[in-house]
Amino acid sequence: MEIDRELLKGSITLLLLNLLSRGEMYGYEILQAAAVRSAHAFEFKEGTLYPALHQLEKKGHIKAQWRTGDNGRERKYYSLTSKGRKAAQQYQRQWTHLTGAVNAVLESK
Amino acid sequence: MRTADQLIADIVRSSRISSHKRRQELLRELATHVDDFVLLARQAGRGDEEIQRLLVANFGDPQQIAQQFAWVYRRERIMLHLSVFLISTLVVTTVVSAAVMSMQAGMALGFGVPLLSVLGSRHSLIEALDILATVAAYMGLISLEKLFDRRPLARALAVLAASSAVLVAAFAATGMATQFLIFGSVNAVFLRTVQVCLSRSAARLGVVFAGFGVLGVIFFHPPASAVPSALARIAASWMLMAAAYQAMTHLAARVDAALLNRFQRL
Repeated sequence: MEIDRELLKGSITLLLLNLLSRGEMYGYEILQAAAVRSAHAFEFKEGTLYPALHQLEKKGHIKAQWRTGDNGRERKYYSLTSKGRKAAQQYQRQWTHLTGAVNAVLESK
Repeated sequence: MRTADQLIADIVRSSRISSHKRRQELLRELATHVDDFVLLARQAGRGDEEIQRLLVANFGDPQQIAQQFAWVYRRERIMLHLSVFLISTLVVTTVVSAAVMSMQAGMALGFGVPLLSVLGSRHSLIEALDILATVAAYMGLISLEKLFDRRPLARALAVLAASSAVLVAAFAATGMATQFLIFGSVNAVFLRTVQVCLSRSAARLGVVFAGFGVLGVIFFHPPASAVPSALARIAASWMLMAAAYQAMTHLAARVDAALLNRFQRL
């Protein structure tokens, strides 16, 4: 099912922080992980990933490093900072609270 | 059909990221993304043309992506233009003031007027303030234009008008002189409009001389007893100002471009 862009916009930060809390990844890897873990529900336009990553890097939530991967190719790897780890937990709590509240409204009679 | 390379180049070019190094790094990062996409698509047995089409379709609107980058790096861009504005204003004001004072010293010697009475007069101080206000407003316009994508001059003029009004009000409230601020703003708007609207140097020069000629007639009312040599001195002074301000526009553009280029590569 295609997800409305406005709905997706609010969740992309949480999604990226959560994926990177599992280990460092490069851009294309993040897109693939998001698609696989969400059963292809999260298949946003690929180019929009990078401004979001750069924004998180500027906020100090993630850090980036160029290095050569296992296959010998050089890529920019992103990983969480301690500030980002705290932010990820905070976003997750807020998200759980929000979705719980939205579900309560949707399921109310 | 737009290729992946063109797509990436378009994004980076339109992103308005100030730092040359950061732009190069973004180009490199997006290129590795394209490489990954192409590699996997080839492994899936897709042809080159189909891969390019899919890549462009999946990547998203380059202008929209560039706008998102412009938003992310807006603070750096503003800081860069502010730094360039401040340094350019200082440099150009110093050069133009020095040039005008030297020419006036030359004229004073030519007309047999004591040098100290010209350079040490209140008139010289007012002239220096006029130059500072004009250069600051002109450099401000150039810097502001770079911050706007659409109708840059009109928007820059609107911001300058608002800033000048605030400054004039603040100066007036504290009992300070405001004439030089008004002169600087109006002069800068006049010079920049001429610069943008007229492409030929001769036409620009003609309009600037005519504009300053009109200003001279408005502000200088010679008494009936004025001697011809005094009138000639005043006329020469106004024409000198016109030439200096026109030269200032060229110098300002060069200093701004040189500083911008240098700072972007830091």
